[in-house]
Amino acid sequence: MAGARDHRRGSAPMPRPRARTFTRRRLTELTAAAILSCLAFVGLFPYLYMLETAFKSNSQFNGNEATPTLPLHFGNFATAWRVVAPYLLSSIIVAACAMVGCILLGSVSGFVLARYRFPGRNLLFGLIAVLLMVPNTASLIPLFVLMRDLHLLNTYPDLIIPQLTTQTVFSVVLMKTYIEHLPEELFEAAHVDGASPARTYWSITLPLARPIIGTVALFSVISVWSDYFWPELTIVTNSLRTVPVGIQFFQGELTTSYGPLFAGYLIASLPLLVLFVALAKNFLAGIQGGLAVGR
Amino acid sequence: MRALPPAASLSLETERHRRRRRVPWGAYLALVPTLGLLGFFAYYPDINGLVHSLTNWEPGFSSPFVGLANYRAMWHDGLWWESFVHVGVIFVVAVTAMWAIPLAAAELLMTLSRPRWRLFFRSALIAPLAFSPVIQVLTWQFIYDPNVGVLNDFLGKVGLTALQKNWLGDPHTALWALIFINFPWVAGLPFLIFSAGLQNIPVEIFDAAAIDGAGRWKRLLVIDLPLLLRQLKLLFFLAVVFVLQYGFAAYIATQGGPDNATTVPVLRIVGVAFDAGEWGYAAALSATLLIIMMLMTGLALFIGRRGPRGAR
Repeated sequence: MAGARDHRRGSAPMPRPRARTFTRRRLTELTAAAILSCLAFVGLFPYLYMLETAFKSNSQFNGNEATPTLPLHFGNFATAWRVVAPYLLSSIIVAACAMVGCILLGSVSGFVLARYRFPGRNLLFGLIAVLLMVPNTASLIPLFVLMRDLHLLNTYPDLIIPQLTTQTVFSVVLMKTYIEHLPEELFEAAHVDGASPARTYWSITLPLARPIIGTVALFSVISVWSDYFWPELTIVTNSLRTVPVGIQFFQGELTTSYGPLFAGYLIASLPLLVLFVALAKNFLAGIQGGLAVGR
Repeated sequence: MRALPPAASLSLETERHRRRRRVPWGAYLALVPTLGLLGFFAYYPDINGLVHSLTNWEPGFSSPFVGLANYRAMWHDGLWWESFVHVGVIFVVAVTAMWAIPLAAAELLMTLSRPRWRLFFRSALIAPLAFSPVIQVLTWQFIYDPNVGVLNDFLGKVGLTALQKNWLGDPHTALWALIFINFPWVAGLPFLIFSAGLQNIPVEIFDAAAIDGAGRWKRLLVIDLPLLLRQLKLLFFLAVVFVLQYGFAAYIATQGGPDNATTVPVLRIVGVAFDAGEWGYAAALSATLLIIMMLMTGLALFIGRRGPRGAR
């Protein structure tokens, strides 16, 4: 409001109608900002609450649930860390393997499909892209039986392979679309200079595809941090559990001590939070790329 | 390998292409790892599941062929169809309230003139996306907790003790409690799509509307919504797919209970396979779900292609 008044004083010599519309616009903007603040607050509330509770002892929590109280109990994070660390390690191993695999497979296949013409090219791409339409939940049952027959249940490959499969489909489609839109002249120049396809892939395509590689990397981490049913149904060894299933189990181990519990949630969220902040642009690019394909 | 011409450099390549029409083994070879992986771990299990939905599947043993018996059993499975009713309720909310609030937020965001404030609010609104969905559900489960939960605590403080409930434990409220997880639903795909769509509408159109004296509501109805039509269509089908896959939140928070009030198709499938051990039947249910989803996605692609080419 103060800003609006200041402005009116400043623009006094201006013709009146214009000044009035300006302040009205200013008021609309303030209202919009107020409503947006409310929405953002309600949306973020659970996480602010999580943050606040993570620093509380049990007696602080029971005494005053709503507002932060001193002293802050950093010890909660140490307690939680001991429980969460194995889940984090397992998730990072799975995410790293799936990420490297799907970037490798996706960039090679995307490069070949985007840059070369050969019989069956569209058919093969179609066979890959159509898998975007098959959600994981629909293949849960037959995939479980397959993994059981291969004696892979409750192992790292059991966690990695389904992630790799889903992410590779996504990766091939995104990479192909991206590489197709790279400037043609670069590839022509390379061809004229006698660069082999392998060289063209390694020295031209990969460096240029870096933004989309970032997107694929982010999405493979998001995917590991979101997948619930598969690890829940196939993993029984505690140290193999990934974050989404693991964090349920420390509810049992840290029963009724809410401080360490929420500290654990925070620690478990941290890798994803950091990546999200660092790669926010890639995330939006991925959404838009995915939508472009979806069309 | 060297014989493969770059795809689009036609002028230079057509002649050379004609000259040596060798089979481009290199290209196929490069695709082998990807196709092998997807063939063995995506196509094979899916087709295998479809085939075994016609059997009394006993993994590791012989699985006698039973024809359509599993599908006939599905027809009489009350719980299976009830799970689709629940999904229907979720769907109705998903395409109304779960769109209206993000759309309002996107519109409000557009009224802010300073880019810095836009960025700030946009980030604050989508920040919850950075948390694992499981953590989102667990946090909300805690909010709903009948004894220490924030919701009941709040109702008690404002004197509405009568409204306090065991939100997830009461068959009348459980499904709604699940739906209201992540309220106000702004951090999600609809918001990202709406705000990107609105940003891509040329400013001149808005200016022209303002000059013609169109108010906010009129502009929303006459300009914004028609220009967002393509995105809306897309979101509609994404909502169908999202809703048919809905499951882990119910699995964590209610386990399909109380009294089956929150059973959804995925939970039913998991229950049939892992608790009852009826793999053939579970495969039939999965196959049905898969076919419904593929039909919906196919329809979405078809309509998306035919749709008018509006603002990008």
